[in-house]
Amino acid sequence: MDTSQYLDIFLDESKEHLQNLSDQIMDLEQNPDNMDTVNEIFRAAHSLKGMAGTMGYKRMQTLTHDMENVFSEVRNGTFKVQPGMIDILFRSLDALEEYVDNIQQTTEEGTNDNQDLINALNSILKNNGEIKPVDKSEVSAQAEASAKTDAEGESAKCSKWDEIKISDTERMLIEKAHNEGLKAYGITVYVEEACVLKAARAFLVFKALEKLGEVIVSNPTAQDIEDEKFDLTFSLIFISGSTMDEVKAAVKSVSEIEEVFCEEYYLEAASEPEHRETEQEKTQEAVVEQPKTEAAPKAAPASAPAAASKPAAAKSAAKPVVNRTVRVDIEKLDNLMNLVSELIIAKNSLIAATAAEGKGDNGSVNEQIEYLESVTTNLHESVMKVRMVPIESVVAKFPRMIRDLSKKLGKKMELYMTGEDTELDRTVVDEIGDPLMHMLRNSADHGLEPNDVRVANGKPEVGSIFLDAYQDGNNVVIEVRDDGGGINIEAVKQKGIERGTITPEQAETMTDKEVIDLLFMPSFSTAKKVSDVSGRGVGLDVVKSKIESLSGEVEVKNRYGEGSSWIIRLPLTLAIIQALMVVVGEEKYAIALGSIQTIEDVSPDDIKLVQAKEVIHIRGTVIPIVRLNRVLDIPPRDDEGQNLTVIIVKKGDKLAGLVVDELIGQQEVVIKSMGKYIKVPKMISGATILGDGEVALILDTNALI
Amino acid sequence: MDEVKVMDEQQRNEILNRHVELDTTQFIVAQLGGEQYGIDIKYISNIIRMSRITRVPKVSDYIVGVINVRGVVIPTISLRLKMGLPEDEITKKTRIIILTLEQHESIGVLVDEVKEVVTLDEEHIEKMGYEKDEKERFLSGVGKTEGRLISLLDIISVLADVMES
Repeated sequence: MDTSQYLDIFLDESKEHLQNLSDQIMDLEQNPDNMDTVNEIFRAAHSLKGMAGTMGYKRMQTLTHDMENVFSEVRNGTFKVQPGMIDILFRSLDALEEYVDNIQQTTEEGTNDNQDLINALNSILKNNGEIKPVDKSEVSAQAEASAKTDAEGESAKCSKWDEIKISDTERMLIEKAHNEGLKAYGITVYVEEACVLKAARAFLVFKALEKLGEVIVSNPTAQDIEDEKFDLTFSLIFISGSTMDEVKAAVKSVSEIEEVFCEEYYLEAASEPEHRETEQEKTQEAVVEQPKTEAAPKAAPASAPAAASKPAAAKSAAKPVVNRTVRVDIEKLDNLMNLVSELIIAKNSLIAATAAEGKGDNGSVNEQIEYLESVTTNLHESVMKVRMVPIESVVAKFPRMIRDLSKKLGKKMELYMTGEDTELDRTVVDEIGDPLMHMLRNSADHGLEPNDVRVANGKPEVGSIFLDAYQDGNNVVIEVRDDGGGINIEAVKQKGIERGTITPEQAETMTDKEVIDLLFMPSFSTAKKVSDVSGRGVGLDVVKSKIESLSGEVEVKNRYGEGSSWIIRLPLTLAIIQALMVVVGEEKYAIALGSIQTIEDVSPDDIKLVQAKEVIHIRGTVIPIVRLNRVLDIPPRDDEGQNLTVIIVKKGDKLAGLVVDELIGQQEVVIKSMGKYIKVPKMISGATILGDGEVALILDTNALI
Repeated sequence: MDEVKVMDEQQRNEILNRHVELDTTQFIVAQLGGEQYGIDIKYISNIIRMSRITRVPKVSDYIVGVINVRGVVIPTISLRLKMGLPEDEITKKTRIIILTLEQHESIGVLVDEVKEVVTLDEEHIEKMGYEKDEKERFLSGVGKTEGRLISLLDIISVLADVMES
C-alpha cells in the first residue's frame, strides 16, 4: 500500500502522541499511582503502535508494542511504576522520537532496532516490574561495542575518493592524461572539525590544485562544496604532471586542513567499485546494528538507503522530505475568519459612508477604499483557502472498509473513487465522513446483489461501487453509485404500508420519488437493519438530516435493476454565500443565490387558484406561490394591482415562487449564527450583517417549498 | 457604535475578588417602568445605546429581534414583556444590556434606563422565599440601599426560561 500521502498526518500525530506520552510519563513519575495517567499512556502508546504498523514502520511498532505491554500490566495492577522503569520509558521515548525524526528526514525509520530497550522492557515484564542490573551491563557492553565501531569508522577514512563515480567523459580524460604522461590522483581531504569556513578552505584547496593541474571530478560536486553542502571531507580526482608529494604539499599548504589522502588513480580501481562498496556497506551495517547508544544518532542518518553507494544522496537527505506544516486549532481559524468578516463589514460601512458624503472631492479616498477592497477580498480568499481541505482525509479509509465488508458479506465488490482532491470547508469535511460511510455500507449491503444473482442477471460477478467527488459551481457534489439492483419501489411501498407510514391508497398515487423519500424517514431505519454492516446507528434519516444541517441536500437517482446513485450536494463553505438581497415590507432578507432559478415579473391576473392555493404558469410549468409577507408576518404594502416580483427557487426538482416587494441586488454575505438563546424558525437559516451595520436574516428557501 | 463601557477587565477582576473577600456583590441598577431592578455585574459584558433591531419572525413576543454588537449577532429580549409589564417605549435613555453567561454566547436585554452601580453586602440582600408568584419567578431577592428597594434579577432563570420557550 502506498502510504506516502499519509506521511504528513502520521508525523504530526506521532509527534503529538510522543509529546503526550512524555507529559504523561512525567506526571506518572510524580504520581505513580494515578490510574488515569496510566490509562492515557496506554492509549497513546496503543495509537502510536497502530499508526506505525499501518505505515509499515516495523521497528517503531515493535518498540511501542513492548511499551504498551508494560503499561498493560501496570494497568492490570500486576506491578507498580518504579523510578527505574520511568528511565527506561523515557529512553524508549527518545528512541521513538529518533525513528520519527528519521522518517521525517528520509521517509525511512532507520535500522536501529533498539534491542537493549526492548530487552529492558521485556525484563520489566518478566520480573514483574523489577529492574535487573543485568540490563545495565548489557547496555554498557553495547556502548563499548559501539565505541569500537566508531573506531572502525575512523579507519575507513582514507578510502573515500574511490567512491566517486566516473562518467565516460571523465574516463576519456583520464585515459588521455595517461597517454600524455600525466598522472591521475585520487585525493580525499579532511578539513579540521573546528574549521568555520569549510567552503572557503575547500576553495583554496581547489585553487592550489589548479595551479598544478586539473580537477576533473569531485564528490560532492563543486557546486555543493561551494554551498558548504559537505561534512568535513571531500574527495576529488585530479590530473597533473606533478608528483604525489607535490600535490599533497599543495593541499597541505592550505590551513585548517586536517589530513590529506592521496594516491595514484587507476581506471582499474574505478572498474571494481562494487567490491569496495560492499566492504563499505559492511562497515556501515556494523555501525548501524549497534543499538541505541551515543553512536546511534550518527549511525542512523548514515543508514539512509544505500548510503555507501550514493553518498551524495545521503547528504541531500538532510533536507526534510516532508513539507513543514502547522496544525492549527480550527477555533483559531474560526476566529480569524470572524475577524476577516468584520473587516469586510467595516469596509462596506466605509464605502457606504463615503458614498453618503458625496463624491466629487474625495477622489483619493475612493482610490484608497478601492485598494482596501482588493486587499480584503484577497485576505478573505486566503483565509477561506486555509480552511479548505481535500476530502481525501475522509474517503481514504473507504477502500479498506469496502474490502472488509466484501469479506463480511461474502459478496465480491470493488470501490472506485475519483476526485479525492476535491476541497471543502474543514467543518464540512469533518462532518461528511459518517454519512458517506453509511451510504457506502448501504450500497454494499442493500444495493449490490449477491454474486450468483448478478451472474444470473448477466452482470459482472464483481459488484462495483463508485464514489465520485467534484466541484460544481459553488457546490461540491459527492456521488455514491452502485451497479446493483437499484431500489425496488414496490418493496418500499409494501414496507411503508406494513409500518403504517402510508396507507395502501396513498401508495397507489405516490410517485417513485415520493416512495424513495420514504427511505429517509426515521421509521424506515429499522433496528433489524442496524447489523454490524448497516452500521453505527446512522440511518438514512440521520444521513439526510446531517447533510441538511450542512446546508446540503441528498438526491437519489434510481434505475431499477441497474443500480442507484445517491447524490450529495454541499456548499463549498458554510461561512460565506452569494445572496440576493430583497425587501419584504420594510425588512431586508437574503436569499442564497444558489437556490434561485429565475426572477419573474408577474401580473396579478396571472395568479390562478388551484385547490385554494395560488399558482402561476411559467413556460408550461405550474409553480406554487409563496407570499413572503404572510409567511414572515409582515404587513403587506399598499400596492394592489401592481405587478409582482416573483423569485423562482428550486429544491431538487420542486419549484416555488416567492413574492417579494423589492430587489436590492446580489451581495456576498457572511453567515452569522444567531446564538442558542432563541429558537429561530426553520425558514431562517441564519443572519448576516450588512454594510451599514444592520442585521438581515437569511431565508432558507428549502423550508418554504 | 456608542458604547458605555462598564469597566475594564482589571477593575472587574478586582471587584470580583473583593466580592469573594467581603461577600459583597455589585449590581447594575436598571429602571423598568416604576421599578428598579438589579443585575449582577458579573454577567454583564457591555451596555450599549439603542441600536437598530432586526425583527425575527415566528418567535415569542418578548424576543424583540437581533442586533449587531461589534460584528456579532446577538438576540435581544424585552425585559418589560418578560416581566409582564407594558411594551417598551424607546427613548434616548433606552439601553441594551449585553449579558454573557458562557463564552461566545450573549443575549441583549432591553431596559428603560441604566441608573447606577450599587454594591450590596449580604446583610442588605433579602433572599426570596420559595413561594414565588409569576412576577417574582425571575427574582433572586430584594436589595436595600439608601432607603430604596431594588429587585434583584435571577438572570440564570430568566435565560433558562428564554431558552425553553
